[in-house]
Amino acid sequence: MSFTTTVSNVAKILSKYWQVFLIDGLSRTLLLTIIAVSFGVVLGALVALMKMSRFRILRFLFTVYIEVIRGTPILLQLYIFYFVIPQMLPFLKLSPFMWVAIALCINSSAYVSEVIRSGIQAVDKGQTEAARSLGMNANQTMWKIVMPQAIKNILPALGNEFIAILKETSLASTFFVGDLMSKYLEVKGATYLGFECLLIVGCIYLCLTYPLSKLVGYFEKKMSTDSVYAKRKRKHKAAV
Amino acid sequence: MEMIKTVDLHKSFGSLNVLTGVNQSVEKGEVVSIIGPSGGGKSTFLRCLNLLEKPESGKIYFEGTEITGNLTKEEKKAIHEGKMPKPAKVDIDLHRQKMGMVFQHFNVFPHLSVSRNITTAPVMLKGKTQAEADEMAKELLNRVGLLDKYDEMPGNLSGGQKQRLAIVRALAMEPDVMLFDEPTSALDPEMVGEVLDVIKGLVSTGMTSVIVTHEMRFAREVSDRVLFMAEGNILEQGTPEQIFGSPTHPRLKDFLAKVL
Repeated sequence: MSFTTTVSNVAKILSKYWQVFLIDGLSRTLLLTIIAVSFGVVLGALVALMKMSRFRILRFLFTVYIEVIRGTPILLQLYIFYFVIPQMLPFLKLSPFMWVAIALCINSSAYVSEVIRSGIQAVDKGQTEAARSLGMNANQTMWKIVMPQAIKNILPALGNEFIAILKETSLASTFFVGDLMSKYLEVKGATYLGFECLLIVGCIYLCLTYPLSKLVGYFEKKMSTDSVYAKRKRKHKAAV
Repeated sequence: MEMIKTVDLHKSFGSLNVLTGVNQSVEKGEVVSIIGPSGGGKSTFLRCLNLLEKPESGKIYFEGTEITGNLTKEEKKAIHEGKMPKPAKVDIDLHRQKMGMVFQHFNVFPHLSVSRNITTAPVMLKGKTQAEADEMAKELLNRVGLLDKYDEMPGNLSGGQKQRLAIVRALAMEPDVMLFDEPTSALDPEMVGEVLDVIKGLVSTGMTSVIVTHEMRFAREVSDRVLFMAEGNILEQGTPEQIFGSPTHPRLKDFLAKVL
């Protein structure tokens, strides 16, 4: 297998199957990622709140939830949502794609909840004390004082979660749900050119993740310094 | 009139007994300084007064109302036997509005501008309009020489400026008493003066104040009464002249010999 034949094979495959990769596969992969991360964020926020709850039993339950999901392989979770849960809930007629999406949401929620919780807990305790000493209650303190500061810890980490899930959706190809990696299997089956197909799919993943991780890095840097606040001058007219 | 009164206040962190039954009261208009060695319970005592630390037992009366919800053995028994009604739950947030607190590390809100640092709580909690609160913020900032920082973010302020901001932020709630927890300990030496001047100006208006401090000269100058705290209790108290001029407790003598 020489370099030139590889290149010409890649060109041949692309000319015939580019739509399969770039339109069908990529859109499915992105759709899965966006569903997983957006529902993961909503669920994760709820889980994080529960884990910081006043009630011991809630804290315990959601600690177990997080530990179980973070402590088991995502492929195993996909199997459970693909094979076991549809059997347990036969009245729920969902497509395989939906079951995979749900599994990814659940998985993402556990990671996102830890991102949110640690983002909140990284805010200096003195901030809470100052707000409480002014007479704000716990809710007012959380939403007016702590959360706006936690956001700058949370957002970059959520970007990293998006990248991680983007790559993890490839495991969904086990169930042939039409994502980018499934398309690799499909085209390989038709052309018998496994290496070239892998090369193409790998490049597409990289073209997504590399700029994204650079972007996250940029925001991380921008938000990590206290100057993020210092530079932001209010539009408000000067007092004097 | 008694503004704050504590009865047999106990607080411990794990096996460490930080407060061992503190009985103390602060009169309206009085300026009380608390001095003493580190780890002696000064800050904990102050933080107990607005329940940032919850004392395990003992009572705190603020303007006549008991705020800890702690009950003595006799009271528990009386309630159990139905001889006494269960006391109503205390809304500590309401009491905290009347107790301003200034922290060692300023704790200004970095995500809010100087003016919003001051106005957020009064608008949220006292039903002031934003315009009223802004007006008050200007007045307060002017008083501490920070009017030109009105629109600035706190990240652009020096330590001394941050602490002055923290003081007026507390004043914006129009408190009845101010609690200062080592307000100058985290400052560069050249900034201590500006903050102490603001506090001096404040106490001269008759603001009831409790000040935990390591600035002995300052304590001597502004206080009506000085408390010496060590080993979890008040070992000696009196006028500044008595405490600094003729201390009696050997622990106080020892302390003063080291710091003066």
